[in-house]
Amino acid sequence: MKVGRASADAAARLASRQLVVVTGKGGVGKSAVAAVLGRMLHRVGRRVLVLELDPRESLHQMLGVAPSGGEVLEVEPGLFLQNLQPRKVLDDYVREHLRVGPLARRVLASPVYRHFAAGAPGLKELAVLGHALSMVEAGWMKHRVRVDVVVLDAPATGHGASLLAAPGLAAEVIEHGPFGRLAAELSAFVSDPARCGIVVVTTAEEMPADEALDLAAMLEARLHRVPELLVVNGVYPPCPDGPVERDDQGPLALWRRRRAVNDRELGRLRAAWRGRLAELPLLPLERGPALVEALRARLAQTLTGAAVEGTP
Amino acid sequence: MSRPRGSLLVVVGSGGVGKTTLAAALGLLSARAGAHTLVMTFDPSHRLKDALGVGEDARGREVEVPLVASGKLEASLLDTRRTFDDLVARYAPDEQAARRILSNRFYAHLSGSLAGVLEYMAVERLFEVAAGACYDRVVLDTPPTRQALDFLEAPERILGFLDSGALRIALKPWFDERGHLRPTARLGLIGRNVEAFLDRIVGLELLRDMAEFFQAFGPLFDGFRRRATEVRALLRSPRTLFVLVSGPGEERVADTLFFARRLREGGHRLGPLVVNRVHPLVDPAAAAAAGEGGVLLSWLGERDHRGTAALRSLLSPGEAPIELPLLPDQPTGIDALGELADLLDRLLGGLPA
Repeated sequence: MKVGRASADAAARLASRQLVVVTGKGGVGKSAVAAVLGRMLHRVGRRVLVLELDPRESLHQMLGVAPSGGEVLEVEPGLFLQNLQPRKVLDDYVREHLRVGPLARRVLASPVYRHFAAGAPGLKELAVLGHALSMVEAGWMKHRVRVDVVVLDAPATGHGASLLAAPGLAAEVIEHGPFGRLAAELSAFVSDPARCGIVVVTTAEEMPADEALDLAAMLEARLHRVPELLVVNGVYPPCPDGPVERDDQGPLALWRRRRAVNDRELGRLRAAWRGRLAELPLLPLERGPALVEALRARLAQTLTGAAVEGTP
Repeated sequence: MSRPRGSLLVVVGSGGVGKTTLAAALGLLSARAGAHTLVMTFDPSHRLKDALGVGEDARGREVEVPLVASGKLEASLLDTRRTFDDLVARYAPDEQAARRILSNRFYAHLSGSLAGVLEYMAVERLFEVAAGACYDRVVLDTPPTRQALDFLEAPERILGFLDSGALRIALKPWFDERGHLRPTARLGLIGRNVEAFLDRIVGLELLRDMAEFFQAFGPLFDGFRRRATEVRALLRSPRTLFVLVSGPGEERVADTLFFARRLREGGHRLGPLVVNRVHPLVDPAAAAAAGEGGVLLSWLGERDHRGTAALRSLLSPGEAPIELPLLPDQPTGIDALGELADLLDRLLGGLPA
């Protein structure tokens, strides 16, 4: 496939990361985009784990498989899905590091540990990021499966940024011991743009666009990170020209108005966004593998400038 | 209609369903009905902020929204920058106690990164407003969360962690009353193992900071716990009604029902279910004439209406959800909000009591 170097960069860069964090305002389609990115990176030959944090599992529907139930589920050779609950990661850590069974059980059952695990700030984030890191590099925990890249369907905006900020904050407070070392290691991991890429998802509507721009500003100010890609989801198709009658309530009028809003917001986003921007269209397909495949093809096309690939 | 006495409308729903805009419209409807109303918002867009007049000066205090109405409408924006520091300063028994907490290293880490702080601050603010008792009705927008009911649970998690009783006692063996490390600690077998594990994991320094924090925080904890308990009671009171907002489409039906059930099981009064941003059904001839967009909009209309029909079929007739149409752009400006308020009025048959 012959493509100009510059246009291949965006896709190739994403494919070279160890962690891709997908965040954005609630309701913009983060999960769909996480599935799309997972499929896209898998298609170019990477071993991928798509990680979901929502206690109510739903990513599996996008990938056309049964719920993971918390385990690492093979979707296809080289593509994996896991719904991860931070509490489980912490408990597994305790079991792994306190090899004496009765002792581990006592810790896990103690109210002190339970309160601590449930509420201690930063602990869950460390657990999640630690798990992601250990899937791409051996170390903290040993897993049966190793992958090249983890695509993380992160919590919505504010919480997504907290996820990335957590290791740095924890490293300031926990200076010693295994968690201190983990915090420092994770802080280095997420701050390195070569290893950890941030993808922000939005729709071309005012509030999500506001929030995407605010998030980018916050990431830059707080973490000195620039998101590498903005995915603008659910864009209405371009419209035939013509005026919109004020009282026209027909489908054409709604389409024109929605597209006009999309155009306005896309303009705003393009003007302000520093990284790469990709549009994904609104398609008449239910959430599921067919939609993900159609979007994957579009995203790959946008990022590489190549012709849309056929299905294998 | 008669003026309500101190009633509360809580607008809940997952992120991105239009809660904030709906809360503002409900507030407007309430003021038009003659009630002195407060709308408490979380993440209004820049334009909605302008429309309501809740700019930067409305952080943490109420601003009157200029309107022609028989009642009065005020709006406030929960200040996300207001941190635990203000709460500590306010509720500490004296300045020295406040300083002891605020200068604690562990506290500095805690207040900056505690998940659910926004929800917790909302609870505190709601307490203040309810205690002030000067509004006929409060409409509370809730923080945007993936889970519609995180708002109810996050404060409990924070309080659980701060439950200084349990943690203070646990940390007690190593430290004396003033947080100094004891020269020798004689611990029972169980105590030694759990705390030794924590020591190995996070280090004695941090544990000492934590012990000191929980000790210093002790006098405040009861107040925090008491206020949270009062707000929980308020949220379950007959004067409080939850409005559950959902997005359209069949895939959201299960979640919506799940949240509705959880709300009821939690002892909360559930009012209207609102399915928001619904695409209209499209006449096939019109769709055909409109090309690619017509096909898409036709499909969207079908999808959204199937979703509402599915939801309706799973609820009793008295619980039938109302549908709000997708507006091309979010309503901002008092006039547009007013139109939305009119629509709500028609569909709800007046404000839910």
